[in-house]
Amino acid sequence: MTKFLPDYSGPFEPDFSHEKLSREALLKILKGNSNYLRRLDATWYVTIMKKCGNDLAFECDTEIWEKFINYELDTVCETLNIHGNDVATLIKAMQATPWMWVHNRTFELKDKNRAVITYRDCQTLLHLEKEGTERWDTICHALERRLFELTAEYFNPKIKVTALKLPPRARGSDICCQWEFKLEE
Amino acid sequence: MMELLYDYSGDFDPSFDHSKLSKEGLVDLLHTYSDYIRRLDGHWYLSVMNRCGNDTAFACDTEVWERLVLYELKIARDLLNIRGDDAVAVAKVFQASPWFWMYRCGIDLKSRDHLIITYTSCPTLFALEREGAGRERQICVDLEMKIFMKMAHFYNPKMKVTALKLPPRSGPDDICCRWEFKIEENK
Repeated sequence: MTKFLPDYSGPFEPDFSHEKLSREALLKILKGNSNYLRRLDATWYVTIMKKCGNDLAFECDTEIWEKFINYELDTVCETLNIHGNDVATLIKAMQATPWMWVHNRTFELKDKNRAVITYRDCQTLLHLEKEGTERWDTICHALERRLFELTAEYFNPKIKVTALKLPPRARGSDICCQWEFKLEE
Repeated sequence: MMELLYDYSGDFDPSFDHSKLSKEGLVDLLHTYSDYIRRLDGHWYLSVMNRCGNDTAFACDTEVWERLVLYELKIARDLLNIRGDDAVAVAKVFQASPWFWMYRCGIDLKSRDHLIITYTSCPTLFALEREGAGRERQICVDLEMKIFMKMAHFYNPKMKVTALKLPPRSGPDDICCRWEFKIEENK
């Protein structure tokens, strides 16, 4: 029986590939990559913001993500064989996004056409709160809403997105934001 | 025992996360998300370049990657336990990089202190060649050298990096680039 590696601390293997790692090791890498992605995206934003100002950084961010969200959904749905045009399908794709390990979120599917997503822990918001410049007005209120609307439209243009709760958080609140996705026939 | 999923074509599972996937499912995801990382980075570069010009985009790219490569090396050390102070550690990091799936790359470990990496397929270079603006001279020559130096010095400050072959290529059959990592004691 093939023995899979828990990590790559052993000798160099000329034909190493990720298939040689155990499932647990692959899962650790996927989690690591999720955070890597967040850092990549955020480092670009902050670098541009410092050099050229927040308006330009936000303009780039919006342009990129308005295009990239469809690529992300294509990728997730194709790889994980997620198909359909109801809210349940949309939620499945959101659960499986490459960013999934960055946030602590709960998905409440009230029925196949209505769901509520609650972000209880969001590294981006934590960072913005520390920064203290209220950039959540653009990132969470404008861009996130736009991306959720595009996500909804990808599955079904009749799915409506409503923000139930947005930053700034009340002191002691454990909810970063909360969104409703509803298919209105 | 929990039944592992190859994909997520079944019913909605309120507690779904990647840990419910089989090993094959995880490998496929890693492969796919490797290209995702590359594309996201490329989109940021182009978006800045279109607004502020290539000089600003390249300055941002350099700053981003000088920081991010250290994080990538930390992931390799902490998650995959890749440690050491020789060229073997660098060879292993190349193999395990989140980007590795996107490239065809020969890793020739001559000895524990001497490594040669040959890229025979590189989507970044192919995109730059199609663009035709000559940006490979910055991305592949200046930036790549800085990143590889950071990688080498993370493991051993005595490790030297030499570009043995760089773009432009002589034609589609030519290799993309070739690099040497070498520790020369007492030099």
